[in-house]
Formats: sequence, C-alpha cells, structure tokens
Amino acid sequence: MNTAQSIPKSTGVIAPDFGMTRRSMLKNAGGGIGLMALQSLLMADEHSPPRTALPPHFAPQAKRMIWLFMHGGPSHVDLFDPKPDLTRYAGQLLPESFGEVMTRRKVATNPLLGPVRPFRPRGQSGLPISDFMPHLAEHADDLCVIRSLHGDSVNHPQSVYQMNTGSILMGHPSFGSWLAYGLGSENADMPAFVVLPDPGGGLKGGPSAWGSGFLPPTFQGTTMRPGKTPVLNLKPQPGISNPQQRATLDFLRKLNEQHLLARDRDEELSARIEAYELAFRMQTAAPEVADFSQETAKTLSLYGMDQPATRDFGQRCLLARRMIERGVRFVQVYSGNTNGWDAHKNVADNHGEYCGKTDQPIAALLADLKRSGLLEDTLVVWCGEFGRMPMSEQGKGRDHNPWGYSGWIAGASVQGGRAYGATDAIGLRAETDRVHVNEFHATLLHLMGLDHRKLVYSHNGLDERLTGPSEIEIVKELLT
Amino acid sequence: MSLTASNWTGRAALRVSALLVSALLVSAIALAGNSHLLSASETGDSPEAKPAATQTAGVNDPQTTEQVSDELQIDDFDRDHWAYQPRTNPPIPDVDNSDWARTTIDQFVLAKLHSESLSPVGPADRPTLIRRLSFDLIGMPPTPAELSQFLGDDRPGSYRRLVERLLASPQYGRRWGQHWLDLARFAETDGYEHDKVRPNAWRYRDWVIDVLNQDMGYDQFITSQVAGDIPSPNESPRQSPQIATAFVLSGPDMPDINSQQERKHVLMNEMTSTIGATLLSLQIGCSQCHDHKYDAISQGDFYRLRAFFDRGVKLKTNQSVHVLSANADPDAISQIHPRGAWQLPGPPVVAAFPRIANPLETEVTTETHPRVQLAKWLTDPSQPLTARSIVNRVWQYHFGTGLSNTPSDFGVMGEEPSHPKLLDHLASRLINHRWSLKDLHRQIVLSATYRTQSKPPVTSGGNAKPLQVWQDAKQSDPANRLLARFPRRRLDAESIRDAILVACGALNHEPGGPGVSPPLPQELVATLKSGQWKTSSQISDHHRRSIYIFARRNLRYPLFATFDRPAANCSCAIRVPSTTAIQSLLLMNSSITMDASERLASLCFNRHPVDQSSQTQELYQRILSRNPDKQEQIDCLQFLSNQAKLLEQEGKPQPALAALTDLCRAMFNCNEFLYVD
Repeated sequence: MNTAQSIPKSTGVIAPDFGMTRRSMLKNAGGGIGLMALQSLLMADEHSPPRTALPPHFAPQAKRMIWLFMHGGPSHVDLFDPKPDLTRYAGQLLPESFGEVMTRRKVATNPLLGPVRPFRPRGQSGLPISDFMPHLAEHADDLCVIRSLHGDSVNHPQSVYQMNTGSILMGHPSFGSWLAYGLGSENADMPAFVVLPDPGGGLKGGPSAWGSGFLPPTFQGTTMRPGKTPVLNLKPQPGISNPQQRATLDFLRKLNEQHLLARDRDEELSARIEAYELAFRMQTAAPEVADFSQETAKTLSLYGMDQPATRDFGQRCLLARRMIERGVRFVQVYSGNTNGWDAHKNVADNHGEYCGKTDQPIAALLADLKRSGLLEDTLVVWCGEFGRMPMSEQGKGRDHNPWGYSGWIAGASVQGGRAYGATDAIGLRAETDRVHVNEFHATLLHLMGLDHRKLVYSHNGLDERLTGPSEIEIVKELLT
Repeated sequence: MSLTASNWTGRAALRVSALLVSALLVSAIALAGNSHLLSASETGDSPEAKPAATQTAGVNDPQTTEQVSDELQIDDFDRDHWAYQPRTNPPIPDVDNSDWARTTIDQFVLAKLHSESLSPVGPADRPTLIRRLSFDLIGMPPTPAELSQFLGDDRPGSYRRLVERLLASPQYGRRWGQHWLDLARFAETDGYEHDKVRPNAWRYRDWVIDVLNQDMGYDQFITSQVAGDIPSPNESPRQSPQIATAFVLSGPDMPDINSQQERKHVLMNEMTSTIGATLLSLQIGCSQCHDHKYDAISQGDFYRLRAFFDRGVKLKTNQSVHVLSANADPDAISQIHPRGAWQLPGPPVVAAFPRIANPLETEVTTETHPRVQLAKWLTDPSQPLTARSIVNRVWQYHFGTGLSNTPSDFGVMGEEPSHPKLLDHLASRLINHRWSLKDLHRQIVLSATYRTQSKPPVTSGGNAKPLQVWQDAKQSDPANRLLARFPRRRLDAESIRDAILVACGALNHEPGGPGVSPPLPQELVATLKSGQWKTSSQISDHHRRSIYIFARRNLRYPLFATFDRPAANCSCAIRVPSTTAIQSLLLMNSSITMDASERLASLCFNRHPVDQSSQTQELYQRILSRNPDKQEQIDCLQFLSNQAKLLEQEGKPQPALAALTDLCRAMFNCNEFLYVD
C-alpha cells in the first residue's frame, strides 16, 4: 500500500526516505502571503507531479537525460562489439563448450554468422565501431560502450519492459516515471518525462513501457511528437478562437473561485484552478518547443532534416534537445516500428535501413549538445531491449540475444572513447564485468544523483524500487 | 491492540533471520550449478530442471506428505495483531446526543468523536445529498426530473425512498461492478506484445454487474469466483457459473512465451497474490520468493494456497486463458519454488489454508474438491479476515478512505483501523444478514455520519456554534479519519464521462455485451499494433456507460488514463486522484467535451429558445444538480451576452448558441462538477 495514502493528506509524504519530505520542507520554509500562493501551486496534492525540481540525493553528474531506444534489438556483434573469432568461425556450428543456449527461435544449432560490416578503430581512442555508423564513429571519443549488458528474457515485450522498468513482468513503473517521481520537473510549463514514440507505432509491450505502474498515473511519460500540436488536446477544437477560449477560461475561473471561497480555500481545489492556468500556458509553451523556425538551416541539415531517410528521427532528436534545454528532465526517443531493429532475416538490410535513419541524427545530437555545453551535464543513453545472436537465422539474419549485448552512454563527464566489459569470444554471453539491466539502471540513477536503494515507493506492503528486491550494486567504473 | 516498537522489531528480526537462512540456501543452490544455471535450464531439457517429486504430489493425493521442513511455526506472538484476532461482536456504545444517531454506525462514530471532544457538523442540504448519493450508488448524477421529484418530496422517509430507488437501479451494478473490476485487475486482453483479445472476458464483467444488482451474498460472490467451475449437488448451475472464475485469471499473461512452464508459474503466482490481496487483504504475494518479512506467512503458505489452483489451469501455447476448470491439468505439481524462480524446484506441498488466518486449524480433506473447501473456508464466520476485508472496502468506496486505509494489507505493516469495533460490528452484521452488500450500503448511507456537510456552514443569525464545530473538527482531525464531516471527493474517471453523457442526454443505457470502442485520436492508435482499436460502427455505442468501454490492457481509454483509472496489471484497491494540466487540456479541449457541450447547448436552446434564465437553470440542474442562485444567474447571463458579442464580432454563426456551448464547456470543467460535496 502506498504510504502516502495511509498518512493524512495534509502531511503528504511522497518519498518516505527523505526524513522530512521535500514537499513538507518547501511547505514549512518561510512564510508570508506570496509563499502561500506558491504553496497552493506546488503542494496542494501530493499525488500530482511537483511543478518544480526536487533535490537529488547527492550532487548529480547529469541533470537531464536523453534515452535513445532502438526497439527490436540492435546487433552488438555488427555495431559495437567486434569479434574476430566470429569472423574466423563463420559458417561453423557453435562449439559445444558454449553449452545450451536458450533462444527465441531455436537458432542454437544454426551456423555462426560473421559481422556483416567491417569494424574500424575510430577517433583518437581507437574505439572500434562498424561501418554501419559512419557519423556516430566521428564521436567515438565521447562514447562509453558497455559491451556486457545482459537481461533475462529472449522475448521482446518482456525485455522491453525490463529495459524500461527493471522487471520482465508487465506493470512496473518505467525509468522515466521513477525519475519524474524522484526529481520533479525543472520547467513548470512542461512535463518532467516526455516520450517521442516512433511514428510507425507498435512498440512490443505497448505504452506500458513508459507507464507509471504502481506509481501515481501522473508520473507516466507524456507522449509528444513534432508538429503544431505536440501534445494531445493541446489546442482548442477547430473554430474556437483564442479570445473565445480565454473568455471561457476566465468564466471558469470565476465559477471556481466562488466555489473555493465556500470551501475553506481547499488546497486540492486550488491546485485544479492552477492546473487550468498551467494548461493555458502549455498551449503556448509546448508548440514553442516544437517550433523549429528559429533553428538555422545548418542545424536542420546537421540533423538530416533535409533527407527523407533521416527526417523523422532527426526531427525527434532536435525536439529532444529543445526539450532538455527547456527543463524537461527525461526524454526518451524511440527508433523502430513494430519490427524495428528486429533483424531476423537479414542484418545487412535491416540495420542498413535503421542505421541509415538514425546514425546522422544521433551524431548531430551529440555534436549539438557538445557545442552548447549541455553535454557536460546531460546524459545520453543508447541501447535496445537486447542484442542479437552470433548464430545466423534464415541465413543472413540473427535472433534475439539477452545474454550479452552492447549499449552506450555519453556526456555527464563519463569518460568516452572506451569499452567497458566484454562478451565471450563470439558475443554470445556477457563474460567480463557483466552489467545486468538492474545494475545499469542503478548506475544511471546514480549519475542523475539518485540512490536506487533510497528511491522507494511503498506499494502493497513492499518498498518497491526500480531495481527490484535484490541487492544491486552500481557499476562504479562507469561513473568517471 | 497496538504493536509496540520493541515487539515489532522482534517480529521483523525473526522473519528476517529466517529469510537469510533461505537466501543462503538458494545461494548454495546457485553456486552448486554453473553460472548459467538459470538460462541453461530454461529450455526445460536439462534433467535437473524437472520437478523433484515426480508426478504424484498434488492436492487430491492423500499419500503425498508435506516435505517442507524448516518452516517457522506460528505462535501467539504472531497472532497478536488485530486482523488475525477472532472477530468480536462489540456492544453498541452508549452516547449522549443519541438523537443525532440514525444507524448503529453513528453511535460508534459519535463515541469516538466525543472521546476527542469533537462533534459532527451539521447535515448537508438536500441537493447535495441527492448528488452525493447518486454518484456514490449509481455513478451518475440525478436527472432534472429526479432532482425536482426529490426536492419536492417533503413527506417523511423521502431520503430512504431515494436510497431504495438507487439501490434497486440496474445502474448500481455498473457503478459498484467497476470497484470490483479494479480489484480483479480486469481487462479484456492479454497484455504484453500481442495483447490479444480475450473474446469472452466481457461475460465476466457482465456476471459481476448482474450478481451485484441481484445482491448476491458476498459469500456466494467469492465462492463462485474461486470455485464456480465445480458443479455442486445443492446448487443450480446458474448459481455457480464457471464464468465467475475468470476473476482469478484476469491478470496479464503472455501466451506466446517460450516456456509454458514459466508462463504457468508466473500466472499462478500472480493469481495467488491477487487472491490473498483481494479476498483476505493479505499481501501473501510477498511470500512467493521468501517468507514474508513481517507477517507470519511463509513461502510454504504461499505455495499451499497456490496448490488449490494448480490443477485448475491448463495452458496451451498461444491461447489466452479464460476460466478455471476442475482438474484441467491433473498432472500439475504443487511445490515450493525457492526464490520464486520457476526453474528451481523445491519441496512438494499440498493445498492448505494460510496458517495465520486459520485459527481453528481447519484442514483440507478429500471429501470435496479442494477449491470448494477453500471457498467454504474463506466465507466461514470464524475466519477473521474476509468479512472485515469487504466491509472495509465498501466503507472506503463510500467515504473515500477505509476504516483501515490499507485495504489490501491487513498485515502488521498495514494500518490499524480508525474504528476497530465499528469494523467488527459491521462485519458481524454482514454475516448475519446473509452477506448482503446492499444491506451494508443501507446501513452506511442512511447513517447521520454519511449525511454530514463537507463544507463550512454559512454563518447567519449570529449562531457561531456550527462554525466552531466545523473549525474544531478540521483543526483536530485534518485528515478527517473521525468523520465529523463528509469528505469531499473528485469524481472518478468513469463517473466524469458518464455524468457528461447524462447531462447532455446522450447516454445509451443499453446493458451488457462485448465491450465498445469509441473513437480515439489517431496519435494514440498509432502507439498500438495495427488493428488493435477498431472504433465501434454504431455511434450510439460510443455513448454507452463507461464500464462497457473495451478494456484493452495496453491502452486505457485516454479520459480514464488521464483521470487515474489504474492499469489493469495488478489488483488496485485505491485509486489515487491526481491534479494535472493534461486533465485540464483534455476536459477543456477534447472532442468529448466539445460534442457534449454542443448537444447540451442545443437541447437547452431548443427547449427555452429565448429565455436565457431558463437555459442556465437547466444547465445548472443537469451539470451541478441544483438551481443557480440569483448572483449566479446574473453572472451567467452576463457571460452569455459578452461571449455572444465577441463571437458575433468574429463572424461566427449563431453566436447565442455558441456562447451557450462555451458556458456548458466551462461548467463541465468547473470544480463543482468534478467534485462531490
């Protein structure tokens, strides 16, 4: 059971671990009429998102985060994890020494498939990246590739859930929801957690991937998209003019204030009055975020907006940058429709297409963040729900591989130009310095200034956390 | 009784040390294998993945002996907790001011208030009462005719008649059914990737609505849901329909998962957890991986409860689950799974009742089907939890907060009831009145406690006492746990939509049948796999009551999701209302509000073509269930006139009608509409 529910509303505890809760702290700090107005704005309802930033547990390396999620499962052995042995033994069967392998499509006895594109050392560091990603390769020195990620399910939805919520079961709060719950928003006019889904739709596992699970629904990801109405219902229905809308809202306010006067100026009622003003401000703020007219032609071109292949993902990467500039805490950008990076049939074709769509925009995002200095305290994460098998499927494709795969992080003063951890000789299983998804999450929270053991929410008698009930350690080597 | 800090620590320490032992055991198992133990054995091919006891262990086999050895015994210390103690039938307190009391509830409430030197505030006025009662019992506002009928009925007993009319309304089940569906984590699809439709899920929803309308006893209600598939010689088939058992199988499921063994394990554990939380108000699910940290619920207790169901479910690859079936899987093994891992076989168990809730130590025999015995045990008056659990829930749905505010956790970490004697009194009464929920509703809504005001009294005539009573109550008891005043509440998502449809006259009252799909914004449909939201072809279907909207697990209907309807992934006992700008945008700008406002404006405009006072009066009645006062009339007329002028300047057609539409829109957004006093 939610602790907040069992405590009188007026003492609203939202994060039980902070001793004096952050909201009660704000509530009790100082006095005066102006502050009372602020109070009604901030704290009338402990189950609603704080409209201000909440302090982290300790000084964070990153203040905001962009998570690039490659839906379908990009192939680590073809992108970031070169395996000379896989080239050497291509066409042969998996040696018996690797033991039994659980796979989704029974590919364990298929011949090995060598990397489909060559790897090259990149940048000053010489970090190898394959020819699938020539633009990103130019930023090799900014990337910390984790080659030893591993998870627990060979199935898409379970792994999409795990990478997003820490659990392979449906219904747990997503990473972004935990961040919104823990850190609040830096911009009173924008949500803390924004999702930019692939316009192709059909994420396996559905919107639960950005759901709030057992956290209050208000912490779920707000989906936005490029264009004039980035948020659902942002604009009045066609034919309603701005003065008409304003006059209607003004009358609403009048009704509400009379109602409030007769009810002891109840805080929850006040908060809802304020929510209408916030909604009205969002009508301006949100389209402004999505309005690229002030961006230079050079910038638009950098993101690939002038090319059909890169236009969509480029728009969404630029939108992500504009959001974090305006104080959105966490933006998750999805690449891949229902099938996405799921290269069962032909890695060269599939990854050719998806790298073609995303490589330049991602490189542009990194360059842009670096140019503006934002990269110093912005964390960029790239990964899918799993990687792919070294064995072939249908000749030139690969099946799902949750047992060992790659992702990368950049920015937030994490040292780039390096690879952390390793898979075995052919990229089947994470072997050295293994990083389980829960450990990955704990580390990402740490970079954001949150201790995963303290970011808890009491639900049905359990102190739930993103990283689950087991003892999970952060990966210290990834912090510097 | 209250648990002191020191013995709490003792209990926790005891539990935690047991936990450590089992954790060590599991570590030992893990170390003995290779580092890929789990992934290698997931194939089900390796011999050690096979359950240890071969094929004979099970609930109907008296030969099977329990092999759980290291289980902590339950002692008086464990039972020393209010929820595990036998239910009492406490005497009704004597109180002064017994004129105020209308049902026995009031004497309990008043005694507690007096003990804190507080008094109840005055009664709510009649328009407030009919609105409160209508939303509470049927989830909809009164129509203008019902409103004027009630306000004009000054004969004695008019309130009681209103209560009876609402309890007899078929809309009652469509309101209270949703409360149960929240607990049952009901949805009509599987969830996960394919989120396939469960084509008969709606039949369970209709069953719940129907039997609540018929006032089926709660004992029979849950008996049907855990054992409705098992024919009983004494009952007609209608009384124990198999469809009711969809309750236990309504959670998320992944039929296309690789290992059906894993699927069944996850499903059975989820089911067992839900049964514990919903029927017993015990977080039994905490014990699926290890003994409960705080309550005396062992892993053995968990898997013994699960054992009642292991044989009732037979899974087939790529096929959704639906209902239980007696002996669907006679070979199913019942055993403990260390660490809750499906690959780790533990000692076999036989079906047995959770020991902490079984003070009479009732045993499962071979005479009838074990699930029939489970149902009997659940509804046995000596079993301390079931009646308390449902009484507390019903109380919570009426007052917003349960007597214990942890309705699905009566364990030692849960909240002790604010009025423990009242809880026991009502639980005993429930059992003595054939477990009738409608009788319980009657007791509650006829009470004086239920009829108090939720807002400060208007001071007039120099009598300052009512205001003082109000202020004292608010100051001493800000959370209102003692119920000196009625708690104001926001409408829940379904009621908001239904009330809008009722107000504009569009609600389609058709009952039952497969879920309907009103149109959704394309942006949302795009987040689903293609073809997963097919808009119903009949427009009238778009206006059915909210409970009939197709419940897709992977996409809650947006108005519902925005106004805090839970995702149907786990049992939800409390909806926590939030206040967000996204809600304001939806209610202000969505086509739902716009369509309803246009309908309602036309309706009022056609009925009272030139009389704007009558137009606004009808709006107030339909949206706020009351008549406007003079000042409100003046304000509305002024808005209509100014808005019409503005729209005329903008060159809009029919500016007067458009202005009235805007007035409707403002009123559908106002706090007085969204909250019930």
